[in-house]
Amino acid sequence: MRDGALDTMAIRPKRARVPAIYFSFTLLVVLVLLFTLGNRNFISAYNLNTIASYSAILLVVGLGQMNTILIGGIDLSVGGLMSFVSVVFAVSLKTIGIWAFPLCIVVALVAGYLNGVILTRVKIPSFIATLGTGGILSSLALLVAPLPVDVPAATYGLLDIVNGTTLGISNLLFLTLAVFGLFYVILRFTKVGRNIYYVGSNIKMSWMSGIDIVGTRIFAFILSGLGAGIAAIMQSCNQYGGEPTLGNVYILQSIAAVVVGGTALTGGTGGAINTVVGALILGVMENGMNVVGVDAYFQQSILGLVIIVSVALTFDRSKTATIK
Amino acid sequence: MGKYDGMTAKRPVLELRRIIKSYPGVVALDGVDFTVYENEIVGLVGENGAGKSTLMKILIGLIQPDKGSYSLRGEPVTLRDPADAARLGVGMVFQEGSLVPNLSIMENLFLCHEIGFRRFGFLSKRAMRQAAYAALAPVKVGSDLEIAIADTTPAVRQMVEIARLLWLSRLYNHKNPVLILDEPTTVLTENERETLFSILDQIKNQASIVLISHRLQEIVENSDRVIILKDGKNVTELGAERASIPEIEKMMVGHSFETDRYREDEQVEPGNATLLRVQKLSKRGAFEPVDFSVRRGEIVSLVGLVGSGKEEVCRCITGLDKPDGGSIALGGKKLSPGSPSEAVRSGIGNIPIDRRSEGLALGMTLAENINLLVLDQLKVAGFISPALERKSAMRWIGECRIKSPSSSTVCANLSGGNQQKTVIAKWLSSRIQFLVLDHPTRGVDVGAKEEIYRLIRKLARDGVGMIVMCDTLEEDIGLCSRMLIMKDGRLVGEMACPPYKKPSPSEIIGLIV
Repeated sequence: MRDGALDTMAIRPKRARVPAIYFSFTLLVVLVLLFTLGNRNFISAYNLNTIASYSAILLVVGLGQMNTILIGGIDLSVGGLMSFVSVVFAVSLKTIGIWAFPLCIVVALVAGYLNGVILTRVKIPSFIATLGTGGILSSLALLVAPLPVDVPAATYGLLDIVNGTTLGISNLLFLTLAVFGLFYVILRFTKVGRNIYYVGSNIKMSWMSGIDIVGTRIFAFILSGLGAGIAAIMQSCNQYGGEPTLGNVYILQSIAAVVVGGTALTGGTGGAINTVVGALILGVMENGMNVVGVDAYFQQSILGLVIIVSVALTFDRSKTATIK
Repeated sequence: MGKYDGMTAKRPVLELRRIIKSYPGVVALDGVDFTVYENEIVGLVGENGAGKSTLMKILIGLIQPDKGSYSLRGEPVTLRDPADAARLGVGMVFQEGSLVPNLSIMENLFLCHEIGFRRFGFLSKRAMRQAAYAALAPVKVGSDLEIAIADTTPAVRQMVEIARLLWLSRLYNHKNPVLILDEPTTVLTENERETLFSILDQIKNQASIVLISHRLQEIVENSDRVIILKDGKNVTELGAERASIPEIEKMMVGHSFETDRYREDEQVEPGNATLLRVQKLSKRGAFEPVDFSVRRGEIVSLVGLVGSGKEEVCRCITGLDKPDGGSIALGGKKLSPGSPSEAVRSGIGNIPIDRRSEGLALGMTLAENINLLVLDQLKVAGFISPALERKSAMRWIGECRIKSPSSSTVCANLSGGNQQKTVIAKWLSSRIQFLVLDHPTRGVDVGAKEEIYRLIRKLARDGVGMIVMCDTLEEDIGLCSRMLIMKDGRLVGEMACPPYKKPSPSEIIGLIV
């Protein structure tokens, strides 16, 4: 078996590969420790709850976004879609009540489907395709409601689906957990989820092995739409109203959450747990810097630095000849 | 060393002594000596994982040895990177090519060294063109210098790389540069291969050449000395005139091969039932209407030169290309053409020529690659079961003798031979009835080749019909039970190849050309 050992080992890079998730998780733990040292209140129940709610919404968009990154694409339309869903939700809640929830989910699924179709049938790279659809959705959002719309107080009860608590824990967290579970199961235990990895890892091989590469990619974009749609509903419920620019911050934040968690932009590696850690890192950073009193203007620099450092730790350069 | 005494008059250009290089868990090179003399072609052979590539990387400064000395023209050197090596007259022509595809031949030739062509602060195209013609003359490239590299053939690219290395050594005033060619012939046609070796033979007058190849035939025919590595150590070196292929193979692998290397004793008599029937299949510009059929358990070898249309016929059968007319039926059922997923669903598999870009998800694990086609069978209550998946993977790892630490090893970390076995395992595990094998043993070492032949025989025993296109005519003859010969897009001949009564290559070559 000496031969065998040589066969497999001789081409390994010098540093034995440690899964990216360990680096991300260590970074998360280090950040929590640092912020706790800076201010004991950081780990108070109240503050942890704040972090959780912030991270929850980011996580739900990120989980969707992750699917498009896993197939080697990207979804820049999540921001526009979230804004659009947000105003549609607020406006339709007045007229159709509880049916606003399924309506918004359908809108999000259709938007994701269209992104997938533009990518696979019109054959436009997802970066450009979703840049375009994102722009369209942003402007549609402003056409529906140029200014933030408040949800009428009469319908506040309906918002309890998100805003209420069960057994003392916010429904928002339960919902997030459910969305995480859904994505985790799809990616780990279903064929279509596995196909996302195959297509992201080697699309030509997937095609030649009979995998439906068109369907798989469309499915990944539908999942991204679903994540963005649910996140938009969550956020709108939280703030008791729709906002035509609600999604803007989530475009880059969602990509950052996925990448910081260790999912490679080149596709094929990563997963739902990675994205949880990524979203938590961003949530902890955002909140922690305020808690320990970092200058507001300086926060973006530190955030940028953390993103670069974490990607440097997790990105497997050995597989990529040139970095673009 | 010193076993070879015919070269005593020649002076060494490059000397590596007692080179040790280890990676975590493995010693890749364990005290290797390597000498290149002036004006010679030295062949370097060894199985995958024997340490050839590590040695080459040290030669051109991509990696540094842990211990040992490196001297060039008698002086010790330390190379920090390939640019250092190029300045000292050591360069490598890479298997995958290292030219910039969208720049022209001329621009590539002088890339990063254009400064010598500056006239009045601007680059003089005229001066560059003159120098380019001079540089390309020895490698017999006379084509338009303005063509982008992406639009040239692999042969031209290779020549441009060689010319560039020679030109650089002149630029830095080194008399006898060392050119390293890693598997130079895999991308070439028969004719181009001959041209390459005749050019190398001339270049030998002004340079030394290190030739790495899995094709022992061309190593023996074209090098002056052959150096054999095994398990990171020097086994021996031979003068070319003393080297015989079986002897080299024996030293590479450590044991000798049976005379029956294609396992003719296991060649089964194909069943009577027709499995695949191809009728009046045609594709404009590629091949005229062809008719043939393949029976269960039959291995049919499709031979012909590049451009004979054999590749296109295979691509139509596997659904990668859409034929213009005709029909393909498997087990009596017609296939809808031009769809690989339809072909795979009907039971037609393909083992592609380029396993890295078409056969494997390199970043994914062995288990994930093996189980790609059988995920539906590994489900419990509708969900993929990790336990079943591991079990299935372990079964096929054993069956195909894939050498790997575990089923969760990432495929990129496997050697070429084991990667190819993984591709075969993938199709073997699914219930395919028909398999098209496009150069199944390309770029794998002799040991792995044996294993692949064994697996092909096993597939035939299981009743799978196969079309193969092999690296050499000998391999085609040895493996197949029947041979179909194509020429200029037409089926021109057929030859039975029953075990122990195989035709000789010379009988067939006449039909091919």
